[in-house]
Amino acid sequence: MREQYNTERPLIMHIDLNSCFATVEQQARPMLRNRPVVIVNRRTESTSIVTASYEAKAFGVKVGMRVKDAKKLVPGLIVLESDPAKYRYVYHKMMSIMKRYSPHITMKSIDEGAIDFSLTTDIIRNRDLVDVGHEMKLRLKEEIGRAMRCNVGISTNRFLAKTAASLHKPDGLDIIDHSNLRLVFATLKLTDLTGIAGRNERRLNAVGIYTPLEFLDTNAHILHAMVFKSILGEQWYQRLRGYEVDDVTHELKTIGRQYVLEDRNLPHVAILQRLHHLCESVGARLRSQGKRARGVLVYAKTTERGYWHARHMCDLPFFSDGAIYAQASMLFAGVPAGIYEIGVSCYELSDSVDDQLSLFGDQLAREQQVTEAIDAINKRFGDRTIHVADTLGTGSHVKQKIPFGSTRYL
Amino acid sequence: MDDETFLNERIEVLASFGEGLNPCKPLRFRRVSGREVAISEIGLRYPTNKGMRTVHVFDVTDGGADYRLEFDTERLTWYLTREADHYA
Repeated sequence: MREQYNTERPLIMHIDLNSCFATVEQQARPMLRNRPVVIVNRRTESTSIVTASYEAKAFGVKVGMRVKDAKKLVPGLIVLESDPAKYRYVYHKMMSIMKRYSPHITMKSIDEGAIDFSLTTDIIRNRDLVDVGHEMKLRLKEEIGRAMRCNVGISTNRFLAKTAASLHKPDGLDIIDHSNLRLVFATLKLTDLTGIAGRNERRLNAVGIYTPLEFLDTNAHILHAMVFKSILGEQWYQRLRGYEVDDVTHELKTIGRQYVLEDRNLPHVAILQRLHHLCESVGARLRSQGKRARGVLVYAKTTERGYWHARHMCDLPFFSDGAIYAQASMLFAGVPAGIYEIGVSCYELSDSVDDQLSLFGDQLAREQQVTEAIDAINKRFGDRTIHVADTLGTGSHVKQKIPFGSTRYL
Repeated sequence: MDDETFLNERIEVLASFGEGLNPCKPLRFRRVSGREVAISEIGLRYPTNKGMRTVHVFDVTDGGADYRLEFDTERLTWYLTREADHYA
């Protein structure tokens, strides 16, 4: 089996900021350093933790845990509300440092990215990448601050580079290649592999695969026919051996936003106002990407019935906040009682330039001009300088948060 | 949970403008009450946008509390917008 591993020189570097938001706060606020800190999106006892510092993690605090439960583990826990502008700045600094080594970088989320050294200049490519990794750690400290730390992983593909970056947290630097692949896999659990959790773990367990080494030693046919029942089986076979299958860009298919209600006993009118606010936010994102949409989906999570949703598809594409809200509010008429979370998204996206001429051309042109004027004013004077009166009081509740897993709006 | 004080206090700031990655360094500031605070470390400096206006945010400490100062590059004003001293 060994000869099937990718034996090429590892030229993919994965960079991962450690406990990103908590580390940035500890950098920004020196009094927080070496203290248990967690970041939340809202200052309530029942909210979930977005990021925990290593000091908090040492007490057993985990991402997703509720603040009140974390406080039982760490009585002196410091709880901070997320500060998107700060994290956005660090993201852009990290990206600018990475771009000095190669124009071919992929930011996977706000706190991690990969550099492909195979497509950069010979001078950089011929350097020892371990030295480059240490240099990047140093630059992060020099250009952002001395409390900043990152994990660096180097391998032949993105998957193994990310795995390498997770081996020695915090501040690690590791290489995985064909010579140590089996040794590294022998130290890991199945769920340590990115993409293996929950359902995929159960699928593997069902055919007797319980460790990364057993996963590695399973042939592509079994992975296809018995485990993943699709091309994903072959992809996993290649991925585990260090061949690149993840260098793909995903087309933007939906744009949406959700909100957990600040109070479960809000009257329906107040919930609609928050939905309206979400529609304004989704509309701004839609237009910022140069897109229009034809479909609107609204959903709600309820304590009684779980997940509820409704959707509607239009014949013609739309772009304005008003058009999105008109459909969302109509769909929302059927929402069940006892809501604690709402969301709205647009789908069936197309580029703004692809408009087909409409019989209602004048009306559409007027709507477009008004929308563009409002967007221009908001860009000039700040978000939500102009918005509908219906959402006048919602801004203090429905705040802009950092989107995980997407870097489109950073 | 409410361990920070959010402010909008106009302050006087003594700052140096030099070279390097962070050429502007606030050194000390005087609050409306007259109290002077000597800055011992700048934790992070980052720009934010209020519309087209750039406002530089400085998260700083005097060793006893953390402060947030905001410098408006268009209006050339400094504001103290946050104070946190809950860590003792």
